[in-house]
Formats: sequence, C-alpha cells, structure tokens
Amino acid sequence: MVEEEHPARLKSVSKRTAATGFLGPATLVVTVMLAAPLLLLLRFSLNRFDIKELMIETVTAENYLRFFTDPFYLGVLRTTVLVAVTSTVLCLLFGLPLAYRLARSQSRWKSLCMLAIVLPLFVGSTVRMVGWMILFAHGGMLDSAVRWVNGVGLEVMYTPFAVVAGIVSINLPYVVLTIQSAIETIDIRIEEAAQSLGAPPGRQFWLVVWPLALPGTAIAGILCFILAMNAYATPYLLGGPRFQMMAPLLYWEFSTNNNWPFASALALILMSTTLVLTACSNLLIPRRYRA
Amino acid sequence: MTDLRSISRRAMLAGASALPFAPGLARAEEQQVVIATWGGDYANLLRDNVEVPVLTPQGIKVVQDIGDEDPRVAKALAQRRLPRGTDDVLCLQAVRAHELGDAGLLEPLDATKVPNLAHVLPDLRNTFYAPHIFSQQVLVYNPNTVKNPPKRLTDLLDPKYKGKVGVGDINYMYVMMACALAATGDVNKVEAPATRELAMKLNANGLRLYPSTDSIGAGLKSGEIDVGLMWKARVVMWQNAGIPVAASFQEEGTVLYISGMVVPKNAPNKAGAYRYLNAMLERGSQSRFAERMGYQPTVDNSPLEGKVAEQLSLPAGVSKFFTPDYGITGPLQSSVSEWWKKNIQHG
Repeated sequence: MVEEEHPARLKSVSKRTAATGFLGPATLVVTVMLAAPLLLLLRFSLNRFDIKELMIETVTAENYLRFFTDPFYLGVLRTTVLVAVTSTVLCLLFGLPLAYRLARSQSRWKSLCMLAIVLPLFVGSTVRMVGWMILFAHGGMLDSAVRWVNGVGLEVMYTPFAVVAGIVSINLPYVVLTIQSAIETIDIRIEEAAQSLGAPPGRQFWLVVWPLALPGTAIAGILCFILAMNAYATPYLLGGPRFQMMAPLLYWEFSTNNNWPFASALALILMSTTLVLTACSNLLIPRRYRA
Repeated sequence: MTDLRSISRRAMLAGASALPFAPGLARAEEQQVVIATWGGDYANLLRDNVEVPVLTPQGIKVVQDIGDEDPRVAKALAQRRLPRGTDDVLCLQAVRAHELGDAGLLEPLDATKVPNLAHVLPDLRNTFYAPHIFSQQVLVYNPNTVKNPPKRLTDLLDPKYKGKVGVGDINYMYVMMACALAATGDVNKVEAPATRELAMKLNANGLRLYPSTDSIGAGLKSGEIDVGLMWKARVVMWQNAGIPVAASFQEEGTVLYISGMVVPKNAPNKAGAYRYLNAMLERGSQSRFAERMGYQPTVDNSPLEGKVAEQLSLPAGVSKFFTPDYGITGPLQSSVSEWWKKNIQHG
C-alpha cells in the first residue's frame, strides 16, 4: 500500500515544483517591480523638502499632515472622487445597454460594431483629448453651432462637464468590453426560461441577467473608477489650470515645485484612497453575487 | 622592460584588435556634447543655426536631450552627487538657472572659458548662465477689438475687460512680478500684500488662465480674450502667423524674460560645453533666433536688420526694463506657486 502511494506523492511534489518553477520568476518580477517603487515612494514621502537639496532624509509625517489639515488639498481629493464616481456611473449607464445588445446580437454586423468600440483605443488618449478641445473650444464646432442657432455661444471648455465627458469617452470602451464578455457567459436559455414563465423583458433583465452580470459589471465599474481617479491628460487639457484633480496636482508638485516628498505623499494618498474605495465598492454587491 | 617575445600570440592579437577602438572611444567622448533643451522650434533652430553651421565643422557631435524644463531641473538636482552627469549643457530660464547655481550645481562662467561672453549686454550678465535670448513681458491686445490699448497693468481691472484677460498659468511667477511692479514699483516684491491684492483683483475680473503659452494666442485669435500678458517675442511670432495682436509696453516698466544655457559641475564634457555656449553667442546664431522666434539677441555685436528690427524696435519713451533679482525671487518660487495655486487657480 505504502509502495503504491509513493509514486503518487512523488508525482504531486514534482507537479508543485514545476508550478513554482513556472510561477516563480513572474511573481518575483511583479513583486520587485511593484513593491520596490512603492517602498521608495513611501520613503520619499517621509523626507523633508528643501529647495537647494531637493530632499533631506528624515522621518517625518509633515507631508501627510500638510495634506490632511489643508482644506484646499482635501477639496482636490473630493473633486477627484466626485469626478471618478460620476464618470463611473455614466459609463455603466451608457455601457450596460450597449454591452447587452452586443452580447446578444446575432447580426453579421456584430464584428463591425465591436471594432467601432475598440477603434478609439488605437488612438492615444492625449490625441483624443485634442479632438475634444477642438470640439469644445471657444469658436470650436459646438460653440459655433450653438451660436448659429441662438446667437449666444456655449462655453464648455475648462468646465467639469468637459472633464467628465472626456473621461467617459476614454473609459467607455473598457466598460463595454468587460460587461459584454460577462454577459456572453450567461446562457441565453436562462432568459428564455424566464420569458416562457411569463416574465416581461424588464423583469427578466433585473431578476435574471443583472444578478448574473453583476460581478462582471462590478469589475468594469472598478476598472473605470481606477482609471478616472488617476486621470491626468483629460483634467489638464479639458479642465484647464483651475480644475484641480489629484494627478495634475501631483505632477505640479513633482515637476514645477520639485517637491518630491510631498508629491510622493500625494501619490500614496491617491493610491490608498483608490484602493480603499475599490474595496468598499465590493461591499455594495450582495455576497451571493460576488465573483 | 617587457620583452616582446614574452607576449603570447593571443595577447598580441587581442591588443592589436583593441587598438583601433581606444583612440576612437576617447575622441567620441571628447567630441560629443549633450544638450538638454526644449523641443520644437527652439531645438530645430539650435540645430540649424548653432550645431550644424558652427559646431559640426569643429568636429563636435551634438546630441539633443529634448524635454521640459521642470524635469530637466529635477534631473540635475537628482544627479548632483554623481561624479559624471548625463548632460553637458542645460537650457534654462534665468530664474531656474539661478536656482541651480545657488544650490552649487553649476560651473561658473567667464570670458576665459567662453570668449563671446565679453559681448553679452551688461544687464544680462550672470556668473552661472550664458544668456541666449531675452524678451520683455508686455501687455498684448487684439487691435481689432481694443481701440484704446491698455497702458498700465491696472488698466486690465476695467470692467470692460471682464472675462477678456488671459495669462499663461505656467508663467505665474512673471505675472506676479508684473503685479509687483505695478503695485509696489519693485519687481522683486512678489509676496507683498499690495502685489497679491492686485493679482486677486485681476482674478476677480474674470482672469482666464491658459495651460500653455500657445493657447493664449489661440484665445486671442478666437476672440475668447482681448488682452493679456505675454512676451514681446510671442507677439512677433503670432503677428507672423496672422493672429491679430499688438503689444503695449506698461508705463510702470516691463519685466525681462531671459533664457540661457548653463554647464553642470558634473558635465562629462565641459570643454565641449563651453564651445557650445560660445557658438550659441555667435552673432549669426543670435540674429537668426531673433528673425525666427522674435527674441532679442543677448550680445552687442548682433544688430538686427529689416522686418525683425522693425518688429522688435522699442516705441519712443519706453526705457524701463527690469531684470528680477533672482537671489530674492528664486527662493520664493515654491511659496508663490503655493499661493497662486490656492488663490488664483482655485480663486
């Protein structure tokens, strides 16, 4: 009996060794590449800024205190969260019907529609923002069209609306593709069963499709939220200097002021806030529907 | 003495094969100059007017390290402890050059190292940087919509200009210097209460902040703004591009924007860097920059001619130009930036 078990155990051990061998290098690289810069950032954030020395090595919480005791910086964080939440909600509202329609489509145009959604991702976000600038600018297409209709122009450039519109345009393809792939995995016969039992389309969606698509939708929402929280080019180009979000503020501190310790603290605060809010969003999903 | 017969055939071959590379390597190191500069027109003009016509015939190969000024300064500060940095020449605004010079990162310059420094205009001379170009910060306006041009900065507080005044957000320090000059008569008093009060009043009159210098030109062209604060050089460039714009020199005086080049103490090729600076100050290089970019030459032996001389000529009675004392304004940059961010951007 013992002699029979021995080769099986050996096989299991060699399997484990092989798995470790395959996973080890990648895990090590990811850990080092992720952890090392973060640790460096944490160390920098505890240093003191000096205009001549750049940084004085010490251990102080003054950069964090500066952020949390100044209403200006807290206001910037609030704006960032608000823009990210608004963009996420809008992306889900626009993306969900589109993703559902695409997932259930049998049309020969489906591939073309998919391509149309993916196509904007081929163009860099900064280039797309320049397109929005041409559309929104004073004397631009939107302003000229509105002026032609009612004689008074429409100032959209450098407004929160412009920033949210820009972020939604960038994030929407990610949201649609993620939700669409989640809905594709839901067996259509479940919907047909609900239909045969007399459920109208709305009820059928909310009671059958929505709970099953919820984990995928949540992932799409989280993805969108993270991207919006860290948006740099969009608030900078479409929001202008008066619209403050965390990423442009962080870059200003890092580059214009050369204040690396405070910029590092801002980066860690932004990352922690995103992580905490992402973890909290998971609580909104009922336990039985979590992925 | 080594007996040649004692060297093995293999060692002899290895040594012989390395021989052609040894002087080549040394020469490459000696003749290559790395200049950290802005991109676009500025870099192209450096290449076409300084590097190719002057330095290439001298056997100097120039590598342009193109990027923004802020990361350039950060890089210089971060590399301060290295015995050998990566750049030989840095292009910087005078205020940033002074910041690095004050931090002890720059090689002092004089005419023994860079002979053409002897021709630099007296007001622009500095120990740490070789001034390359300069321009006055003037009031700019659209002559089609503004019939009575503003004469003082305080004229922009007129309610008729509400929402029609634009400045560059990145030029915040120079805007504050203009406010200081108008409010206190001293260009260096950028943190004086009267200076801040004037800036706040301008902001309350619907001041438009533009993220880049070029976007101010676009604002003037589209009619979004009628007046603003900008370098005279930009006025010339925009006029040449067909944008309706004219300049008005403030009665209280104008602040000078100076841009130059510096040599870090840990530059790998200091001799080459000095030759670059000298080439940049050559009269031909200087006058071509004026023709193309509208900046004034910084040397006394490069008189302007033709259209550019007309465009850059000073109106009668204009004589008040102020070079900031960077020893005073340099250390105030962080606090002014912080104040600007909270009270003007967020105001």
